[in-house]
Amino acid sequence: MIVNGHLSPGGGFSGGAIFGSSLVLVAISFNLEAGAKQISHQTASLLESGGALGFALTGLAAIFLGGNYFANRAAGFPLGEAGEFFSAGAIWIITVFIGIKVASTITTLFYNIIEKEQVVGDIRRTDT
Amino acid sequence: MVLADQLPVLIVITPLIGAFLAPLIYRRHEKASGYLVLLSLLLSVVMAVFLLIKVRRDGPYFYQMGNWPPPWGIEYVADPLRVFMLLVVVAISLWIFLFAIEDLQHELRRTVIGWYYALYLLLVASMAAITMTNDLFNLFVFMEICAITSCAIITVKEDRECLEAGFKYLILSAMGTGCFLLGVALLYMVTGQLNFGFLQQELTAAVINYPLNVFTAAALFIVAFGTKAALFPLHVWLPDAHASAPSPSSAMLSGLVIKIYAFSLFVIFYRVFPRSLLDSLPLSEIVLWLAAFGVMFGSVYAMLQTDLKKMLAYSSIGQIAFIFMGIGLDQRLALVGGLYHIAVHAITKAMLFMAAGAIIYATGVRRISDMNGIGRVMPLVLVAFTVGSASMIGIPGTGGLISKWYLALGALEIGRSLFVLVILLSSLLNAIYYMPIVINAFMSQDDFACQVKEVPKVLQSALVIGMIFVVITGIFSRPLTLLLEEAVTVFF
Amino acid sequence: MEILGGLIHNYYYFVAIILFVIGTHTMLTHANMIKKVIAMNIMDTSVFLLFVAIGYVQGGRPPIIGSDPEALYINPLPGALILTGIVVAVSVTAYALSLIVKIHRAYGTVDYDEICELRGDE
Repeated sequence: MIVNGHLSPGGGFSGGAIFGSSLVLVAISFNLEAGAKQISHQTASLLESGGALGFALTGLAAIFLGGNYFANRAAGFPLGEAGEFFSAGAIWIITVFIGIKVASTITTLFYNIIEKEQVVGDIRRTDT
Repeated sequence: MVLADQLPVLIVITPLIGAFLAPLIYRRHEKASGYLVLLSLLLSVVMAVFLLIKVRRDGPYFYQMGNWPPPWGIEYVADPLRVFMLLVVVAISLWIFLFAIEDLQHELRRTVIGWYYALYLLLVASMAAITMTNDLFNLFVFMEICAITSCAIITVKEDRECLEAGFKYLILSAMGTGCFLLGVALLYMVTGQLNFGFLQQELTAAVINYPLNVFTAAALFIVAFGTKAALFPLHVWLPDAHASAPSPSSAMLSGLVIKIYAFSLFVIFYRVFPRSLLDSLPLSEIVLWLAAFGVMFGSVYAMLQTDLKKMLAYSSIGQIAFIFMGIGLDQRLALVGGLYHIAVHAITKAMLFMAAGAIIYATGVRRISDMNGIGRVMPLVLVAFTVGSASMIGIPGTGGLISKWYLALGALEIGRSLFVLVILLSSLLNAIYYMPIVINAFMSQDDFACQVKEVPKVLQSALVIGMIFVVITGIFSRPLTLLLEEAVTVFF
Repeated sequence: MEILGGLIHNYYYFVAIILFVIGTHTMLTHANMIKKVIAMNIMDTSVFLLFVAIGYVQGGRPPIIGSDPEALYINPLPGALILTGIVVAVSVTAYALSLIVKIHRAYGTVDYDEICELRGDE
């Protein structure tokens, strides 16, 4: 769904959600260690920030190539025939980055909510 | 690629990229992350100043995202009014961050400070985008980013009260967003446009053909922005949220976040709704009366508080109502007063919250009754508090007087002298609850009882900068009021 | 009578408004915090429903360029807007739910009225 995002319904968000849910399903159906082996915490954080950075930097690349922010045709990204696979220049790149980011975000959210249960500790009740 | 042409977008993107990088770098090297945030905020301020110079020289400037012309594309506008608000937002964010670097080590756990930096920069980026955007749906997206991050900088502290206050803020904010989105849907239904300029043209016809949609959308916008900006009956989330948050977050929230929604309401009233709608419906009247009640109730509730930060939070409700009063009076001078008050109150309330934060940092007291004699052991912090209080009351020489002056002049020009009475009465009430703190701090018989830690130099310098700004806005106010007057004349 | 006829003809809008009111009322009055989050989702979804219903053109096809470039397409703009809106609503829901988990650890209950009582006793 991610890679065909510019040709059919779907795109980065829904594709990324499906991808992320698949990693979460591994953790639910087996145990948490098997899920954590699929993608480690460090990798997930790195992918999260990396996906967002890639998205922002693609827009900046459009500026350097001569258009405004996120410009597509005006910046000279290669456009192909409508309906072909390698068409619509920057949209494909952006879709891939969004897919990576959404997938890593969903796994990170899941692990953050679940894993704190195993860490002992309660919220400090202070009035500093 | 001329860099000056890309400034509107770069001002939004720089904090955004900083926000994505900050947690990564914080894992390796903590201090470098703080410097990165400082650098991106500094770059934003420099770019905002360049944008101001460019707009003064060349006139209003429209920037199209992706080279798609409106109505198909998203448009950003830089005209004097929006660049003024942008400059206020980024400059005060930079200043509050100077305070935050030291204070956060004391208030939050070490591991979450990197995430706090990311949230802070995301908040600054979203506010900068809200000031400049010219498209209703883009406004919605950035309003949501602003809502989530402003709620997150409260709950990052993980205290009992922070969590509950943050949840209340989130739910009420979500209600405001739902109402806003419904209003956008109703307007889109009758006009088919989302760009402010095109919408205004289409609405002059749509008000006659489909009046019910437009009236409902106007009402929903007032409810939505009123909830998020703490207009009188919808303010119930503010005291808990601002009082329990970490001090830099309180300064940021009270100083900037609620103002940005009042500013958006102002832009929507004058750039989206046609003049015929404002004349036929009493929209300004409603906002004006709610604001008048807000001014009185904010001051009355503030008098009854025993906790310092809660008192400042209730005072914020009263002061934000001044800005709404400026919008509601619908007259040139009053609008200048309301907009000037955005800048003045941002500086003053941020400084007051920073002084409160410094007091809590050094001594740990939060109750007003425990603060007798504190001025003798922490003179600089309490002098800053005094200058801030003077500006809240409206003493000549500080910025608070200039904004109240313009508001009163505007009210008199259209013959609503009742509101001059409201302004004067609220100044008196402000004096009733600010002055006892100052007097007891310096001239009380008792000596201050608790242990006093040393306040770091960075915090002290931040407070000194604040005092200088307050006095500058009070005495050298003419350049800014000239800028605002010429920005406002466009609407009349 | 014509109002009733209008309502039945545009029943999408009618249902969207009813869902919006249900969502807002539940969000503000019910005490259980998870119900509040669900109601917030219902409220947002109803507005998305309204948006998508606006974009519908009688007899149109999905807005994907296929073999016949001259066919009647429905308006693609509301669909694109709603995709963004759904992602925003999902992030707010994710944040609200993680906040509820933390509140449960701090207070021991998910009932908002009980939390107010506990806060009032402090």
